[in-house]
Amino acid sequence: MPPPLIGSSKSIEKIREFIDHIADTGLNVLITGESGVGKEVVAQSLYYKSQRKNKPFIKVNCAALPEGLLESELFGYERGAFTGAVQSKRGKFELAHQGVIFLDEIGDMPRPLQAKLLRVLQSGEFAPLGSEKEVTADAWVIASTNQNLGENVKKGLFREDLYYRLNIIKIYIPPLRNRPEDIPTLIDYFIEKYASQFDRNKISKPDADAMEKLMAYSWPGNVRELQSILQSSMVIGNWEEVVDDLSIKDKPDVNSAPDHKGLDKSLIVDTLFDLKNENSPGHASFSLKKIRKETMNIIDKEVISYVLNQTGWNRTKASKILQISYKTLLYKISDLDIKQQREL
Amino acid sequence: MLIKIEKTNYDSGLNKMDKPSKLLIVDDDEEIQSTLKDFLIKKGYEVFSASDGLEGLKLLETEEPGFDLVITDLVMPNISGVGLIAIIKKKFTGLPVIAITGWGEHPEALASEVQADQVLEKPFGLSELEKSLKKLLSSKFDI
Repeated sequence: MPPPLIGSSKSIEKIREFIDHIADTGLNVLITGESGVGKEVVAQSLYYKSQRKNKPFIKVNCAALPEGLLESELFGYERGAFTGAVQSKRGKFELAHQGVIFLDEIGDMPRPLQAKLLRVLQSGEFAPLGSEKEVTADAWVIASTNQNLGENVKKGLFREDLYYRLNIIKIYIPPLRNRPEDIPTLIDYFIEKYASQFDRNKISKPDADAMEKLMAYSWPGNVRELQSILQSSMVIGNWEEVVDDLSIKDKPDVNSAPDHKGLDKSLIVDTLFDLKNENSPGHASFSLKKIRKETMNIIDKEVISYVLNQTGWNRTKASKILQISYKTLLYKISDLDIKQQREL
Repeated sequence: MLIKIEKTNYDSGLNKMDKPSKLLIVDDDEEIQSTLKDFLIKKGYEVFSASDGLEGLKLLETEEPGFDLVITDLVMPNISGVGLIAIIKKKFTGLPVIAITGWGEHPEALASEVQADQVLEKPFGLSELEKSLKKLLSSKFDI
């Protein structure tokens, strides 16, 4: 049975609906989202909903292994291919034949390997290390990353052609802080899940006060962190202590978390002094007018980017939210060089 | 400017059975979506639109009778245009697709690989679009 995709928020409901529509297409899927949001759960849901569910589901963590080892893991090797290769070994792609290969942390895959992966995606063929014979594998590729692959492409860290080929279908899982309504449902689910491992008498649901704090917390580790907090509460036997341990005092506002860090006062001042060397406080004078303009641009850029990302770059909706005309919005996008993050 | 506005003669988008051809436009850019929609409605076509691949797919799955042609952007949220074309070519055999590509994005090769019938690069003229459309529709109804 697949681990269920828990949550009653709109975004999770939409992901569930989406999975139902695309699980049988066999098209490459890229799942994005912060660490701990449940990317593997989504990958497994896709697998279990597909016609490949009785075939292998093979997971490879692309960040966990050095390049050479990752290559031999993915594509296998022939006997004698390298020192210590005393017998040949089949790679994960071959093992995933007719099933799924889940490439976790694809953003960390070294560039030379990206070329080999691209070839597999184009033709389904590859040669194991030390072999001249091509092997064919029909594996459904589901990849995941917590990185912005679009940005990595711009920085030259990720191949553009591979990015487009992986990005045929994309699923973005929002962080838990953006969907606090999922927290009570997740807590109910985990309590039920762990009930058999702990003293049932010790298990209690958080009271209204604790739940309020839990829903206000920023959950940087997302669902994984919630899961671990819940296990602690079961060991300790009460919620109060656990909830107090959360760094509530550091809690960012639910709507503002890291997206708004650009608005941090000291950061803005530092940035401006960096940008305008002539405005450095070391100089005899600096223009307040220029600083004001730069500051307004930074704020405009942050806020417009945030709203555009929230609306999926729907410019009409964004202009309504921002209460500016559509034309002004287009002008700002161009003037402030606001770029679309294609992950979403 | 993404689409070149030109003077056109508004004639009819009727097919050989004298019914308006039914088109689906899929684009996450509302400006382009509405420009194309307005133009094609004035040309006499029956036009439906969707803002992303999933919405487009749902319309394809539920609309009766089905569509005569699909015009889709390539870079979109959830199901990309390339994904949508691949699904159409597998599940809706014979349905022609025109792919339109955006700013500095280069998935055109993929669109051809999944057998888009025509790839138009922005900016394109509306008359150019209509020409492709008529050509594809006439070969569809000739079959």
